[in-house]
Amino acid sequence: MSPAGPAQLRAGAARIVAEVVAHGRSLDELLAAEPDEGSARGLKRSLCYGTLRWHFRLAAVLDALASRPPDQLHPQLRALIEVGLYQLLSGETAPHAAVSETVSAARALGFDKAAGFVNAVLRRFQREQADLLHAVDRDLALRTSHPRWFVDALRRDRGEAAGAVLEANNAHPPLWVRVNRMRGDPDAAVAALIAAGFGATRHPLAPDALHVEPPTDVRSLPGFVDGRLSIQDAAAQLAVELLAPAPGERILDACAAPGGKTCHVLERTAGAAAVTALDVSPARIERVRENLTRLGLEAELQMADVAATSGWWDGRPFDRVLLDVPCSATGVIRRHPDIKILRRAKDIPNLARRQAELLEAAWKLVRPGGRVLYTSCSVLSAENERVVAGFLGKTHGARDLTAELTTGWPARAADAPGYQVLPGETGMDGFYYACLGKSL
Amino acid sequence: MAKLTILEYPDPRLRTKAQPVEAVDDSVRRLVEDLLETMYEAKGVGLAATQVNVHQRVLVTDVSADRTDPRVFVNPQIIEREGSTEAEEGCLSVPGIFDTLRARSEKIRVRALDRAGVPFELEADGLLAVCIQHEIDHLDGKLFVDYLSELKRNRIRKKLEKERRDRVPVGATPTRSPVL
Repeated sequence: MSPAGPAQLRAGAARIVAEVVAHGRSLDELLAAEPDEGSARGLKRSLCYGTLRWHFRLAAVLDALASRPPDQLHPQLRALIEVGLYQLLSGETAPHAAVSETVSAARALGFDKAAGFVNAVLRRFQREQADLLHAVDRDLALRTSHPRWFVDALRRDRGEAAGAVLEANNAHPPLWVRVNRMRGDPDAAVAALIAAGFGATRHPLAPDALHVEPPTDVRSLPGFVDGRLSIQDAAAQLAVELLAPAPGERILDACAAPGGKTCHVLERTAGAAAVTALDVSPARIERVRENLTRLGLEAELQMADVAATSGWWDGRPFDRVLLDVPCSATGVIRRHPDIKILRRAKDIPNLARRQAELLEAAWKLVRPGGRVLYTSCSVLSAENERVVAGFLGKTHGARDLTAELTTGWPARAADAPGYQVLPGETGMDGFYYACLGKSL
Repeated sequence: MAKLTILEYPDPRLRTKAQPVEAVDDSVRRLVEDLLETMYEAKGVGLAATQVNVHQRVLVTDVSADRTDPRVFVNPQIIEREGSTEAEEGCLSVPGIFDTLRARSEKIRVRALDRAGVPFELEADGLLAVCIQHEIDHLDGKLFVDYLSELKRNRIRKKLEKERRDRVPVGATPTRSPVL
């Protein structure tokens, strides 16, 4: 007997979506535990990603369609109907198949008695789609499928740019790779990718970054297995341009996992910088080790909290510190649509407090004349400009160097420290950088 | 151990009724190993000996998500049935075809011999129950498409026959069509 036909796949997707929505589990972790391979894997993943990406909008449609109060529906049944609605909206499956397979999936999940209800809801959606969406889409938060607190915060922080950010968060993320400068130059890598049938173009600001099309399993890219290429968004690659590490320097990557920036620093210094990489989680330190090994690079790895210096620091200051803080990850929603659901408004002040503590701790580790590069993949000023402004306001001898280091980049308002990239700008993830110099 | 070739519908050999195993000896145990290897290789959840053109009453299953629950049934018999259930089924001998059947008991009690020849009884429900019933059907020369309408069955047969004709022969290199 064969496993997982179309109905089973939809049932499987609904189970995963329900785990994220009702139990706050992470999509990456849930998908990593799925045993599927081949086309089944691809279809289930795309159903999960698509449904979670559009969850708030689909939930609003379901609320308008259901004859009984939707909160009385079992989370898996709600999730399944959202999966069915997503298929009808995406148009990737023939509508009659989307309906009948979703109804079969209801039975596969054990909701035999609800099969008729699922059928009725999806068919009514087909009939009334235009009117229903017209009503739901009048609300920006629902139309772009984001939680309301986030839309409000984004409008407050980013003004007119908020709408474009919300749209960009729903786009399918592009594939960016980083060329290992120790094993080749970017133009040669472009040629190799094109010879292998891919599209490859360079980024205007990040010299090692190539945009590869179509997005593909990285192991099939020429040069991935032998360490000439790594996966890394162009925005994350810009960090090294501002850190500007030099051979022979002592460099700290204070929150290193999974190690992409650690490796980039080493590649750019021909392996001749003394890099210490910290992370608080043993599993995540292991990821850093794997990445270093694949690229044949060496760094000192420590499982430690940067603020608890007595546990790991020998007291010798660093020339440069890269502090990529734990954050809301609201700049990478296009890659992790579950963030829309998992992140709550109340998380932000807690994150901001922790980020300010980490920045103070990192500052003590850098020598006079050295620099700390503060980065996050958040788009909220509470985690970015306001953390840095608060630090600059109370720290004697700290100066924001970002503006003078980004003169060739698209201009920014001069009233806030650091540099914010918003999602979708030249194809990048949302990212924030503040390069802070310590006076001699 | 060896990976075996799985017969595909409408191969008439799938209609053979399998004979009971008289003694669980080394040749039967080798068959069990081969069936498991073939099932895992084909990413199936169950496989009957009939499907690899061996007409003895032996079947294997593994319905676990992480592929860690191989089960072996020699001379399986369903001794109790309860309820009925609707489930989507597919078959390694009918590749790529799935349909929802209301043909299976919801809960069954099975009596069989294990790979050591020791008798056991097992109560099964859910996917395992459906899978055991599906595989026992194979030992009786029956396929899940037999539960569908004749119209659907003919359509499936034609589709599979066409796909087989279109399949690139093993070893042949597909040639790239010239760019015009």
